[in-house]
Parts: sequence; structure tokens; C-alpha cells
Amino acid sequence: MVKEIERAGIPVVHMCTVTPISMTVGANRIVPTIAIPHPLGNPARTPEEEKAIRRGLVEKALKALQTEVDGQTIFD
Amino acid sequence: MKLELGYIYIKDVQFGAKSEVKDGTLYVNKEEIQKLVLEDENLVSCDVDLARPGESVRITPVKDVIEPRVKVEGRGGVFPGWMHKVDTVGEGKTNVLKGAAVVTAGKVVGFQEGIIDMSGEGAKYTPFSKTNNVVLVINPIDNLEAHDYEHSLRVAGLKVATYLGELARNLTPDEVKVYEHEGVLEGYKKYPDLPRVAYVLMLQSQGLLHDTYVYGVDAKQSLTTMINPTELFDGAIVSGNCVSACDKNPTYIHENNPVVEELFAQHGKKLNFVGVIITNENVYLADKMRSSDWSAKLCKFLNLDGAIVSQEGFGNPDTDLIMNCKKIEAEGVKTVIITDEYAGQDGSSQSLADADVAANAVVTGGNANVVIHLPKMDKVIGTLDYVDIIAGGWSGSLQPDGSIIAELQVITSATNEQGYNCLSAR
Repeated sequence: MVKEIERAGIPVVHMCTVTPISMTVGANRIVPTIAIPHPLGNPARTPEEEKAIRRGLVEKALKALQTEVDGQTIFD
Repeated sequence: MKLELGYIYIKDVQFGAKSEVKDGTLYVNKEEIQKLVLEDENLVSCDVDLARPGESVRITPVKDVIEPRVKVEGRGGVFPGWMHKVDTVGEGKTNVLKGAAVVTAGKVVGFQEGIIDMSGEGAKYTPFSKTNNVVLVINPIDNLEAHDYEHSLRVAGLKVATYLGELARNLTPDEVKVYEHEGVLEGYKKYPDLPRVAYVLMLQSQGLLHDTYVYGVDAKQSLTTMINPTELFDGAIVSGNCVSACDKNPTYIHENNPVVEELFAQHGKKLNFVGVIITNENVYLADKMRSSDWSAKLCKFLNLDGAIVSQEGFGNPDTDLIMNCKKIEAEGVKTVIITDEYAGQDGSSQSLADADVAANAVVTGGNANVVIHLPKMDKVIGTLDYVDIIAGGWSGSLQPDGSIIAELQVITSATNEQGYNCLSAR
């Protein structure tokens, strides 16, 4: 999906936990997430902390979307 | 470490007033087994049924399969950390009811349990159509949380396997197999010119009911470590898995790990079997990095020439597999990986979720997406209620005539990634 959307000329950020797979499939902007069963949250944290985690990740993704990249890049 | 496995061949299983083995027949006392299982307050019912090779019987939803064994000489007892205190096993003598198996069935999650057919098309794909099975269909109390149910089901299977194994304690084995591992230094002195090969055994440890236990320890909480190969034969590794039926490693296969058996068979002939490295498949990327780093470190530490890496499950564990492969190869150690494929029903899709050029020697357990047609069986042990939602099935998999059209994935151990399956290209 990442590749097809980019082929249509729209930049994509792939948010995922297993970044090596994302590299293998050819995503250009990759934002690492928390864990496979809960990529954008952490059930071990309080709801307030979880919200902060989610916001932080989305903001990181939005920044990545606006960043020029020269080849595949992981935004740690 | 030297272990003698005494095989007592079981050719039939029957109910009897007394549990015993007589002339190759395993007699089981149903009430004693039920009583044993229902000691657990979380369980309300346990139907005990028997399934023999060739019968028109379908068992589902299958959770685990376990081989009854008993330690007759040496330290510890079978399934250490569960049925016996934690004590190092793998030495001395162990008797095995070869040809018998305990099969646990019950709906833990429904979609990640499997099917065993004792005859017909399905029987060709599962190794457990050839065993005389004591099947436990176990139901929990109302509203029991899934993890607690899985735990109860797992322990129930181990208990019954241990109970049946005890019947072999004083029997004279029909055949004795001897497995001896000299240790790293002695092995090197004995076979200085043979290639040094170890086995990297990957254990499913994703959590959320995808767990494997080593001496009772949840594998996800452990760093990559080493184990003596003979320890596996005494049940040191126990499955607690609810993953796709075709490629989870039931406890039975850990007890009979075919890679370990073959490496022993070649030890001192074609190669020097250095040992077994056990590693996990966790859901955090940092864990995947750390565990695969550790696998590679241990391979280097042991001065290996080659390593065989086997996987459990599919999807994100493909990354653990490829990381292990890549990093071990980078240490100058040649690898062969054993996996299975999800290449689509027509076999034309990418087989694994991850790939690397270092993975240039691959053994496959087969394509789990192949569609098969299983005829109706006269008897069902368990229930067909979950056939349509089992991984590999779909709405309508269960046909009106009682037959099943589904992917190979639904069959227990059909594409086993230790090679304990029946598919072959030969």
C-alpha cells in the first residue's frame, strides 16, 4: 500500500514496529512504533501517558512527511 | 551428557478398568484421567476419547499434542518446571510410549487451534494421524480469562502425559536409542576435522497466548541461551501456543525434535554437533535485535562453521528468522534456515514477510495457503463450531455435507518448521 500510494505521487510515512520489514518492502519514510500488538500505544501506561505517546508518534510522523529524504530513512 | 531413550511401541489404545500397557496396547482408565484433569478448579468438564490411525475421526479444535514419557534413571523428571521440580534433565534413561499421544482440545481462541483427521486426505498432512491418541476435550468454568484457560489446558495435557508415561516406568523397551553429547571441548578433540554445526532453535514468544516455556520459564523473558540437546527429549521445552495450527511446534515435536535427532545421527560422521542455541520471537523491535545479536554472538563464541536455524510461526517472526540468518552469516558462519511459506493459494506471492540475500539456503515446510478438501468424518471429537473461523478457513469452509474446504494451515503440524511434517518434494 505504501508503495502504491507513493507511486501515485503522494508521500507516505510508514509507522510500524518491525522496521526491517518496512525496509524490505521499500518504504521511504519509516517511523518506529511501540510493539507489534500495540503499535501506537502501551497498555502498561496510564491513559494520559498513552495519549502523550500517541501524540508524540503522530507528530513525529507529520514531521517525517515534511522532511526531504534521500533514500529509505528511519526516523528514530 | 548421555541419554538412553527406551521406546515401548504402542500399536493400539483402549479404555480399560486399569491404566496399563499390555502387549503393545495402551489401556486407559477414563475416570482416573478425568479426575486428574478436574483437580484444576478452573476446569468443569473433561471428555476423554480415543482416536486411532485409520479411523473416520476428526479432532478439533486441537491445542497441543504431547508424548507420554517417564524418567527412569538420572536427575529430574519429565517436563521440569511443570510436572517435576526444576532440575537439569537430559541424562540417564527415559522411557517413551512411542506411538501414543495426548491431544488436548478446547476453544481457547478458536481461530488458532487446529484439525487432526485420522483418515482420508487430511490424515496425509498431519503426523498425528499416525499416533494412537488419547484426546482430552476440556471445558473451563464460565468467563475464565483466555490466558488462565490456556494455562489450565496446557497443564492438563502435561499431567495426563506424565500419568500415562508412568505406565512405562517398569517396562522393558522394545528398542533403545542412545544419544550422547560430549561437550564442546571433548567434541572438538574427538572430531577436529569435522565441520562444527549448531542448531538455533527459535521459540514462539510473542505473548498474547503465543508462548513457549523452557524449564517453566516464559521464553520471552529470556535472552538467547544454550541448552543440551538431550534436555529436549525430557520435555524441557513445552508449548503454550495458540498460533496457526500448521506451523506451531506442539510439545510432542519439541520432545522429538527432528533436527536434533538428525544432527545426532550425523555427529562424528559428517559433522560435529556442537549444541543447541535457543532464542525467542518477541514483539518489540529492540528484543528482536538483542536476541538475534545474541544468537550470532553465541555462534561466533562456539567457533561454528555452520548453523541450522528453525522458525516457529510466520509473519513478524520471519524478521527474527532473517535477522538471525543475516547476523550469523555476517560472523562467517554458514546458515540453513527452516521455515514454511504463505505464498498465496496459487503459490505466486512472496513466501516470507522478510528476506535477505544471506538467506541463500532455505528448507521449506510447504505452502500453508494451499487449498485442500477434507472429506466428512463419521465422528467428531470436539466441535466443528470453529472450522469457519480457524486460521486458513473462511465463512463457508464447513460444507453442508460435513466436508471442509480450507487452506492447509488448518491442519496441525502440516507445514512444521522443524521438519516433523509429511510434505515432501520427493
